[in-house]
Amino acid sequence: MGEKVYVLGAGSTKYGKLNESIIEIALNASRDAIESAGITPRDVKAGYISNVFGVADKQVHMAPVIMSNLGIPDVPGLTIESACGSGSVMFREAFANVSAGFYDCVLALGVEKITHTSTVESTTLFSYCSDFFYEGGNGASFPGLFGSMARAYLATYKATEEDLARVAVKNHENGFLNPKAHVRKKITVEDVLKSPVVASPLKLYDCCPFSDGASAVILCNEDFAKKSGNPYMEVVGSGRGASPASVQSRKDITTIPSTVEAARQAYKMANLSPKDIDFVEVHDCFTIAELIDIEDLGFFPKGSAAQAVREGRTRLNSDITVNPSGGLKSKGHPIGATGVGQVVEVFEQFTNKAGERTVKDAEIAMTHNFGATGASAAVHIFKKIK
Amino acid sequence: MTQSKPKNQSSRERFIEFAKNGNILLNRCNKCNNIILETVYYCDKCFSSSFKQISYGGKGTVVTFTIQAVAPEGFEDVESYAWVIFKLDDCDINVSGFLPGISSPSDLPLGSKIKVIDFHEKHGLILQKYQ
Repeated sequence: MGEKVYVLGAGSTKYGKLNESIIEIALNASRDAIESAGITPRDVKAGYISNVFGVADKQVHMAPVIMSNLGIPDVPGLTIESACGSGSVMFREAFANVSAGFYDCVLALGVEKITHTSTVESTTLFSYCSDFFYEGGNGASFPGLFGSMARAYLATYKATEEDLARVAVKNHENGFLNPKAHVRKKITVEDVLKSPVVASPLKLYDCCPFSDGASAVILCNEDFAKKSGNPYMEVVGSGRGASPASVQSRKDITTIPSTVEAARQAYKMANLSPKDIDFVEVHDCFTIAELIDIEDLGFFPKGSAAQAVREGRTRLNSDITVNPSGGLKSKGHPIGATGVGQVVEVFEQFTNKAGERTVKDAEIAMTHNFGATGASAAVHIFKKIK
Repeated sequence: MTQSKPKNQSSRERFIEFAKNGNILLNRCNKCNNIILETVYYCDKCFSSSFKQISYGGKGTVVTFTIQAVAPEGFEDVESYAWVIFKLDDCDINVSGFLPGISSPSDLPLGSKIKVIDFHEKHGLILQKYQ
């Protein structure tokens, strides 16, 4: 492995329905990250941008536009797309370039703007992230794809629709404490079960919202971090995985192979195991995803996540705090930004900026983010620097 | 039934042509006998690209499904339908498709019998329940 890599600064817009253009949203998060790191744009040697639906706000080839508007038009940038996993996949590439010694300091920025489109338009755009010939082209939406996974999971294991609802209730409890969350509202199991069916067996409150938003972090090498005088955290593990693109092609619909592999790589690199993780931000685009995630990441044996949630073992400051930010479910899911937003949450937790949602005495944290139904995934592990 | 490969047709065009006749076109690897969907270019076991095409009867059983409140563009004209993953009979291959006329999960217990009846330009692989 190459040089050690650190996160030096982090910034994020509120997630939700934002009025600014996609470029303005991106610039606001970038400025916050640069100022949080105590650097100037001149220190940034490259920009890594994650985005999926820029075309919906009339802007592709986004990186040069962002670099130019940060006053550094001479700094190279590139845009990376990996559906809902774009942010973490992009973060991995930024990490790899700093680790390899190409740059001492880079900007890693994720951004999305989608709420100005109609529900049918956004549902259709998202369906293009599926294996379209077999899925979107046969009428599957993303809630539908995860609905089919949920049906298979509930039929295989001792889990119920109430258990799915408990995931939503827990994440809304956490998101209520997050000033930047899209849906800051406490809900009950009954609220979830009575909400309209979106894609059976998933209901409205089983689903994350469509969100606008941007999140950014500054990644740097050890020399740069130490000279800055600002707080930072170390990236101690990084893993990437892949799964068959279509759900039909997976031998087991109740697991996501890309998550399992990305986690294996990240744990190995960090020389850590699930019991060492104090909290985790997982990809809970739908409540079923969180149950599958926390099994695939090794926190609970296969088929037992529902019971763990029932027993409150994933709540804030319990056995393993899952999604202290509120997760995609409550914090929101601006899909190009989500993976970076998870890293921002870890940074805020480790630099005493998480307020009431602080995970007590946390020193090791994990982020997990996947694209589409898990065709691509990345897992990262972070260590607090005291 | 083994088929010879027609010329000047893409793999997806061939898949669609067979689906229109109620069949699923698969590839049997000439090197290791692994069976995969015809739209995959290399064997995922031995990575050979030498195949014999097999037309499989498009009958199977429902593995999982969903019924959606909001359909993507192009499906607004359908009152209610299920998106279904089904396992082909006598073959370890799953395929997914569009099953019209399903409005409640109780209409489609897991394990229900399903068959391919067409491939529609607008709605993809069209399925039908049968007893």
